[in-house]
Amino acid sequence: MIDLKNINRRRFMGLAGMTAAASMVPWKVRQALAATPLPAVKEEDAIIGFGHVGPISDEGWTYSHHQGLEAVKAAFPKAKYLEVENIPFSADCTRIYRQMVSDGANMIFSTSNYGDLIYEVSDRATDVAWFECDGRRPADNLSGYYIQHWYPTYVVGIAAGLLSKTGKLGYVASFPVPSVFSGTNAFLMGARTVNPNATLQAVVINSWFDPQGAKQAGTALADNGCDFLFGIMDEAAYLQVAEERGIWAAMWNTDIRRYGPKAYVSSIVLDWKDYYVEQVKKRLAGEWTGGEETLLPMGKGIDRDAWGERVPADVAAKADAVRDKMLKEGWSPFVGEIKDAEGTVRVPAGHRMTEDELYNWDWSIEGVSGLKV
Amino acid sequence: MALHFVRSPVVSSARALTARVIGFVLALGLGALVLGIAGFDSLHLGRQIIVKSLGSQFGLEDLGLLYTPLLLTGLAVTVMARMGLWNIGADGQFYLGAFVTTAIGLFIKGPEPFMLVLMFFAGAAGGALWILVPTLAKAYAKVDEIITTLLLNFVALLLVYYVATGPWRDRVSGTTASTGRVPYKMPDFFGSLHWGFVIALAAPILFALALRYTKWGYEVRLSGANPDAAHYAGIPVRRRLITIMLLSGAIAGIAGMLEVAGTVHRLQGGISNNYGYLGVMVAVLARGSALGVIAGAFLMALILNAGIILQTQGLTTSAVLALTGLIMLFTAIADQFAHYRLVRPRAATA
Repeated sequence: MIDLKNINRRRFMGLAGMTAAASMVPWKVRQALAATPLPAVKEEDAIIGFGHVGPISDEGWTYSHHQGLEAVKAAFPKAKYLEVENIPFSADCTRIYRQMVSDGANMIFSTSNYGDLIYEVSDRATDVAWFECDGRRPADNLSGYYIQHWYPTYVVGIAAGLLSKTGKLGYVASFPVPSVFSGTNAFLMGARTVNPNATLQAVVINSWFDPQGAKQAGTALADNGCDFLFGIMDEAAYLQVAEERGIWAAMWNTDIRRYGPKAYVSSIVLDWKDYYVEQVKKRLAGEWTGGEETLLPMGKGIDRDAWGERVPADVAAKADAVRDKMLKEGWSPFVGEIKDAEGTVRVPAGHRMTEDELYNWDWSIEGVSGLKV
Repeated sequence: MALHFVRSPVVSSARALTARVIGFVLALGLGALVLGIAGFDSLHLGRQIIVKSLGSQFGLEDLGLLYTPLLLTGLAVTVMARMGLWNIGADGQFYLGAFVTTAIGLFIKGPEPFMLVLMFFAGAAGGALWILVPTLAKAYAKVDEIITTLLLNFVALLLVYYVATGPWRDRVSGTTASTGRVPYKMPDFFGSLHWGFVIALAAPILFALALRYTKWGYEVRLSGANPDAAHYAGIPVRRRLITIMLLSGAIAGIAGMLEVAGTVHRLQGGISNNYGYLGVMVAVLARGSALGVIAGAFLMALILNAGIILQTQGLTTSAVLALTGLIMLFTAIADQFAHYRLVRPRAATA
């Protein structure tokens, strides 16, 4: 007998794993538990809040979420919307969300993971439907959502391995958090399938949005001999470095090739529209329950961007062949044996890493430097 | 006969306050005008700010939580200003206070009241420690404290980022770049407003009393007003300078301790929220008066809280920043204007 109230997450993953088919499309990593749905809300009474980590004008991460909000607005024009940019990782975050609640919000999307700073409000505002992007502590009134970015990242990594002459890949990192570990590891694993000697050097700049810091980090990596830059920044600064230095770069979030058309290889592009519209629809209809963790799969929320103008056709074709294999056959490259940077076997031979393991990856594979915690 | 302005070196408090109020109203008026042209209903926005920050429990809690660190960092800067010194490093001392508090909270076990007292004094010690080098450099080598205190802010921030994303990283939820949760918590008394608020409110009063009624206070005031005369009068100016600077650091450290133990409960890179730098603005508003800090920090908390309310009403952060800057600019201009008096020259006699 399974006690649904006291089920822990790991155990639940195991159960979910048993029932889910072994494909790369576990749309829900964690299903909503048996909670009563929040009551229906009339469209004209709905107040929907969005809180962002950076400015909408970043043309990257925050912009992509803003596009999602625009799609929701188009679908539900009678609802009211609150949108706040540049929310810091401090008690100001709590104040902003508390303000949204006191403004009467029925649904709040936090497009970055502020953890406790959100739960401080969300645990008290139980009649509000909460969303935390990259969040890992779902509750009856809060769902986490993110993207399976490791698959398109692996695809772009293959292109990087083929394009890099030095085999030295550079990575501009925000913080040593799971997104960065899975991003660097997937990227280098892709590159190593075509160049087994490739290495990746990461520089942590302690911010998601710091164009100056990202530029400095990109320059330092190029000075160190890296001829392919990748990273996880909300904006395009290191692409401009790559353009000036005549090296390659791959980006995140959106198609921003215009900032460095010659250097641009591809981007890990985001699309939140369908997810947001679906969630709002459920909430209005009185069918929404929290407690989910959704990882949007490749092709439905995340993908590689169209290849850059200077990417040779054979490079693109080689990488795309792997992408097709993932999309059509559910093939995953994240299968043991995988060793960490110290040489210890962390994924045993034959074990296929689950989406949960990929999502919570917190160690570096062999060949990655600069990210040890 | 032409009218002209005459500058008077001393300004009465009433005159200064009047100039401030006029400046503040003008800044608000200009802001409202620009917002009106941009299509916002300025009166509605103004009403929202007042109703939401002062007219609801949520608003008052938020205001109190903002007010607490600003009182202390504003006081930290003011304490040093009494000796004619600028502490631009309150942000760094805040971080160190938060850092030491977290270290104790995470790695020492004990009964909560005892732990909170320990964290309080440790936070103060952490802040004082962070200003120790600038203090000694100032006292014995006359090194400019503005530069040394400022630069140590960046060191403190990197130290916090290092432990929050490295050795002390939270391994339970494992998501944000923060440490694990500190299990000891300042007790609340009004919603989420904790007793740290009362401590922060008492601090400027205690300092003002000490300054006014103790020998130490007299010596500090004299050393600040005229170090040479103080030295001649036999006051140990250097020793007073050292205690004042360490006290300033300790007060900023306590602000960091309260932010961890009362409000955020974790150590993370963004925790200071620029309170140290905002403390400089509070001190400027307070014009060197410890009791003025109570009013200056309140105004600053109100402005910051208004900024959050305006953002949820659809204003961008840049507009909010511009408004804050406008208010500060007009206050500074008003402070200068208060020195001037319009005079009609007396008719020449013979």
